[in-house]
Amino acid sequence: MSLRALIVVVLGVAIVATPAPADDELDRALAAIRSVKKEGRGNDDAGPAWKTVVSKGGTALMPTLEAFDDTNRIAANWLRTAVDAIAETEAAAGRKLPADKLEAFALNSKYAPSARRKAYELLIAQDAGAKARLLPRFLNDKSADLRRDAIAHQLEMLEANGKKPAKADLEKLFALTRDQDQIELLAKKLVAAGGKANVTEHFGFVNHASLIGPFDAPDGKGFETSHPPEKGVEVGGAHKGKDGAEVTWKPVATTDKLGSFDLTKLLDKHKNAVAYALAVVVAPKQLPCEIRVTSPNSIKVFLNGSLAHGHDEYHHGAPFDAIVGRGVLKSGENVVVLKVCQNDQKEEWAQAWEFQMRICDETGGPLPLEQKITTDGNTKTIKLGFNPNPTEKKQEKK
Amino acid sequence: MRTASVMALTLLISGGLSAGDWPQFRGPNATGVSDEKGLPSEWSKDKGIKWRTELPARGVSCPVVAGGKVYLTCSSGQRDDRLHVLAFDVATGKQLWHRQLQATGGTACHPKSCMAANTPVADESGVYVLFATADLAAFDADGTLRWYRSLVGDYPTITNQVGMAASPILVKDKLIVPMDNAGESFLAAVDTKYGKNVWKVERKREINWVTPITRDVGGTTEVLFAGSDGLIAYDAADGAKQWEFKDGRGAIPTGALDGDSLYFPMAGVTKFGLGESGVKGKAEWAAKQLQTGYSSPLVYRGKVFTTSAQGLIACADAKTGKVLYSERAKGAFSASPVAADGKVYCLNETGACTVLNADSNEYDVIAVNDLKEGTLGTPAIAGGLLIIRTDKALYGIGK
Repeated sequence: MSLRALIVVVLGVAIVATPAPADDELDRALAAIRSVKKEGRGNDDAGPAWKTVVSKGGTALMPTLEAFDDTNRIAANWLRTAVDAIAETEAAAGRKLPADKLEAFALNSKYAPSARRKAYELLIAQDAGAKARLLPRFLNDKSADLRRDAIAHQLEMLEANGKKPAKADLEKLFALTRDQDQIELLAKKLVAAGGKANVTEHFGFVNHASLIGPFDAPDGKGFETSHPPEKGVEVGGAHKGKDGAEVTWKPVATTDKLGSFDLTKLLDKHKNAVAYALAVVVAPKQLPCEIRVTSPNSIKVFLNGSLAHGHDEYHHGAPFDAIVGRGVLKSGENVVVLKVCQNDQKEEWAQAWEFQMRICDETGGPLPLEQKITTDGNTKTIKLGFNPNPTEKKQEKK
Repeated sequence: MRTASVMALTLLISGGLSAGDWPQFRGPNATGVSDEKGLPSEWSKDKGIKWRTELPARGVSCPVVAGGKVYLTCSSGQRDDRLHVLAFDVATGKQLWHRQLQATGGTACHPKSCMAANTPVADESGVYVLFATADLAAFDADGTLRWYRSLVGDYPTITNQVGMAASPILVKDKLIVPMDNAGESFLAAVDTKYGKNVWKVERKREINWVTPITRDVGGTTEVLFAGSDGLIAYDAADGAKQWEFKDGRGAIPTGALDGDSLYFPMAGVTKFGLGESGVKGKAEWAAKQLQTGYSSPLVYRGKVFTTSAQGLIACADAKTGKVLYSERAKGAFSASPVAADGKVYCLNETGACTVLNADSNEYDVIAVNDLKEGTLGTPAIAGGLLIIRTDKALYGIGK
């Protein structure tokens, strides 16, 4: 860190830490806004409170930003619009926002990521130079938008004036990248620089699984219909599947770079059907995680026998990472079961039955996880997403 | 009852509106018709533009106008999760205020659309915005946040990964919120003061882009809402089902109401008569050549006009359904046609607007005016201007 940056941070922290004069009215107003609940409960008080906050002008800016809590997204939106209104009023009056406070706030990771992003945007709107100064500090930020901008900025710096970035620099940047387009871009540049970039591993895709199905899902109600794999798993067991046929667990794998499994190839095309994919994930310690699923089908995810999350929607596209659930991995082996349902739509565009599943941290980044897999009857443990020969197209093997 | 009286009734129903406002999706009661005069026929990027204001981001929602302000929504960000609400002065195009929300619902959608897809609804007091993320908010005319709700926070299964676009409407002191989707589906009325539910009726779990329309029958205001289960009329006061018309299924375009006649976007366009207890008997006529797709039919000066995703502009006699013409114009249409001052404006997806002489029984093109910018939202007509939002800017076209 440069001396200037150090001074800015020290001063900034000192400024932020300096208690402002108490303003009970402002505190009460912010508390009223933070108390809003579902279905508009609390709106009666929050409306007048919003006006009170905004009427305080610039003095309310930092307390309002500090009041953000990204786990209370309803209140955060009330506060966000108040910040907009305050900033607009101050600008109309020809008053500058407190740049030093905004900078210190943006750099202080104890505050809500979305509030820090807001502070950063207010800052660069009146001090364009702050961008280059601050962005390198956001390379490993919890705010997806701050991190994204920081990655783009860093890459621009590495390639300034036609320079070829060093492999080591690209490796560092690749490790910090979270957005799919930036991951793909940096992976290409890294390989071009003579390095290696395992995209599957970086994402933490489950690319080996035990698969069982199809089970019956009458009237397209696979999402609601429960089958034995949801109630306790004994890989190796047999169950009564669709139309009375016996179904058993079998190992499957994909070399697809983005971990895609095509169930119409692995299990054949079925309508009104359900399949389950099971992965045993090994964690070195208890770890909060996100289990992100990409699928055009209705899905449910079970973590260690409990429903983690579900999404009941068919054939409206398969946006990447759109289905996100949160859980906590225990130390040691964890059983993740993904239920993938197929309905009875006849249209050509409604025949896909497929999934991608990855396990990552809250930023979408890799966790230190391994996966226990079975190949040719032998069980071994590999790094989650290990994929020595990734393919661009889906190539599953039965 | 003629179109003019329908508009007058609509103004009465909505309350707080001035003559010449364009308060919601497709203007007064989604008719697409304004009584403004002196509207432009010809323009280009360099000619006939009263003002042009850059927008902070893209959107496919339509501008609305009330109380001298144009309201608009946009969305931005890598995840399309930044939701923008903006107000402009209709006379000058000057931006008056800009508020942002962070999406609380899913942001997946068809690449053609975005999270700013639902059109706001406004009155003299302010604007009500709904985004495809099911974030719902009311702002006073000066930008004060009156209330905010996360409908996905309230009802977590709400989802439409194709992207939602049905627009809310106002009925007196109630905001009617259509929320047909793949999860918990409903039509709700929320009070305009605090945003709390007044009533909420269950709907079939199917995605649907239709915007409700209203009519007044014997002192009752009905909300007519077409979906995969047909056309259902609800009492705006309490949400009670008044009648249903199973064949009147809707998915994307919104029907046009002209007095006691409903021009419904099915089998091209089909005309039904409406009585006190709903649709009267069989269809009066059906015209397959009146193709729609994404856009809604327009009824104006005794004719029905349609534009299609295939680039067709068609016109039929409203009384008989006789097709007067069906012509291929330049490019595809997502925006619905709008009309005023004897002209019909058909804006295609790339900024070219075909202006038709509404009174001609032939395809009488007054001009084709090309802004050469992406245009999926339906224009507004207010303040003597045709107001067009493109991917990049908001235009006030006229004198």
